[in-house]
Amino acid sequence: MKRVSRFFGRLRAFVVRDFQLALSYRIQFLFRTLEILFFVTTMFFISKIFTGGAVTSYTQWTNPLAAWITGLAVLNYFMTGFSSFANAIRQEQAQGTLEGVLMTPVNIPTFIVSSSAYDFAQATVYSSLYLLFGWLFFDVRFQGNFLLAFLFLIITTLVLASVGILSASFAVVFKRGDPFGILLATTSTLFSGVFFPTQLLSEHGGRILGGISRFLPPTYGLDGIRRVLIQGQGFNEVREPLFTLLLFLVVLMPFSFWVFSRAVRRAKREGSLIQY
Amino acid sequence: MNGLLKLTATSSTFIAEEVARDEREIQPQQQGVAISIRQLSKTYPVALARLKKFFRRKATHPVEALRDVSFDVREGEIFGLIGRNGAGKTTLTKIIATLVQPTSGAVAVHGFDSVQDEVRVRAQIGLATAEERSFYWRLTIEQNLTFFARLYGLTDAAARARIGELLARLELEPLARRRFGELSTGNKQRVAVARAMLSSPPVLLLDEPTRSLDPLAAATTRALINSLARDADKPVTVLLTSHNLAEIEELCARVAVISRGQIRAVDTPERLRAVHKNAERVRLTARGLSMEAARGVLSGALTEFEVAEGGNEIVVQFTRAVEDDALDRAVRALHAAGGRIHACDSERATLLDVLEKYESEPQEGVGK
Repeated sequence: MKRVSRFFGRLRAFVVRDFQLALSYRIQFLFRTLEILFFVTTMFFISKIFTGGAVTSYTQWTNPLAAWITGLAVLNYFMTGFSSFANAIRQEQAQGTLEGVLMTPVNIPTFIVSSSAYDFAQATVYSSLYLLFGWLFFDVRFQGNFLLAFLFLIITTLVLASVGILSASFAVVFKRGDPFGILLATTSTLFSGVFFPTQLLSEHGGRILGGISRFLPPTYGLDGIRRVLIQGQGFNEVREPLFTLLLFLVVLMPFSFWVFSRAVRRAKREGSLIQY
Repeated sequence: MNGLLKLTATSSTFIAEEVARDEREIQPQQQGVAISIRQLSKTYPVALARLKKFFRRKATHPVEALRDVSFDVREGEIFGLIGRNGAGKTTLTKIIATLVQPTSGAVAVHGFDSVQDEVRVRAQIGLATAEERSFYWRLTIEQNLTFFARLYGLTDAAARARIGELLARLELEPLARRRFGELSTGNKQRVAVARAMLSSPPVLLLDEPTRSLDPLAAATTRALINSLARDADKPVTVLLTSHNLAEIEELCARVAVISRGQIRAVDTPERLRAVHKNAERVRLTARGLSMEAARGVLSGALTEFEVAEGGNEIVVQFTRAVEDDALDRAVRALHAAGGRIHACDSERATLLDVLEKYESEPQEGVGK
């Protein structure tokens, strides 16, 4: 119990610190909000090209604007999942503050999780803004079980966080050039169905290209969330993507923790833990 | 080398015992010893050596930074570590601080092993380095210290009280709401000392704590360090690394000389100087007696001396062995002849002489 309260005390310390740092750059929040509003507005006008012309077989895409803003909101969250851990390490290394933090009785997993907490809080706000602007200004309506959609969001984020921990392990040892983050960030947009249905990949790119999306966790996360929020499907109908995500989680989470502990040990041996 | 100065390699009796759950509830297992270092060696491996070999890149050699280092720092002691740049001081400090793992040997802080119990070791230690970048420059001093206090597990009320106390003690109160980036280098360094003391740790590792301070601030900091170690209720152990040898002499009960990764001597500053040069030149200035009278009385007290006259005073110079009674005899003799001692100076070997001696001695190559 004492350990849990100590963990949350430290988590709070990092969140407050990051909030104070964000406050010292107040204008950034304003511009990011405006950026999201402009982006959703742009998507609204592009969606008008397809008015009445959307292919009905792509059931999640009958309202392209709803599909896009869901995709963007969720992608924003997923990106945070696999980039924030490595960013936390890299940023502290680059600033030189890692030594100060690691001199306190905080273990490294606590440090990584806590220093990413504000990123997730921020991603929640920005992702909500996509949905809010769509609903407020462009009449996008969402239906279905929001709790189920949230469950998808959490599980997919945990899966991507596992990839994020692999990415952080890379940052600990090699400092830059992390292949996991780059690979997932670039492939997710193209292969996970953020901007178009994944079926199009098979139809126009062949089976191999279409098959890539099956290996990417965000594909299942996005599909599940759209099925719930746009098509209004329930638990029984979304079991397949949900269990696939759980399978990814069971394999990736322990593996990433194992790799991370090895990476930290190696960096301490080389004396490069706080170097950048 | 004098046997007193040589470090004896002790048997490997150092074994960190099993510890209980909470680091603050555990009693130290080695009473009297705050930091125990046993046969510590550190060689920095070549990063990605196999990959470099595979691509036939020119191989660099591993760097042996420390070799077979052993010594103890006692509870409540101010212990100095001196040596040239690259001698291994920083590596040693970082190993004690758990930031770097040793290749072999062990470090224990209040009985906790720096590798096996690193979180508990960190709970016992406060580290202040001259590294300004280890703070958040856009946050105020207060915000920075509050963040670190929370990481140390202090409650908000305890953190506020402790930060207030430290800011007052280090004369930083008027700057509490200033951003760290706006502070002078000296004030940044004082904030680093404040951070090291946040959790009232029993052990402080101070790396050149007065390097950028003005003379008055440096004196205040030295007085603070002294008072911490002398605290009767809760004496703090200080491992002080500095290139300011006068500061080391003033503060430290014992000093370790490190050269090319090896500890060459551990002793009190006085003994280190004495072993290096067991004699000092004394210069006494006296008034109220003539040169002849002085010469007469001193010939019975000293075997060799020189007397000179200058204005209304005479100057007596002689060489004596450190801690013999020649000075006492000379002063008594001059007094007996009606003289008043006006000044007394001595030229002794300094820690710089000691350092130079060890650096000039041939030694097996270790170091960066």
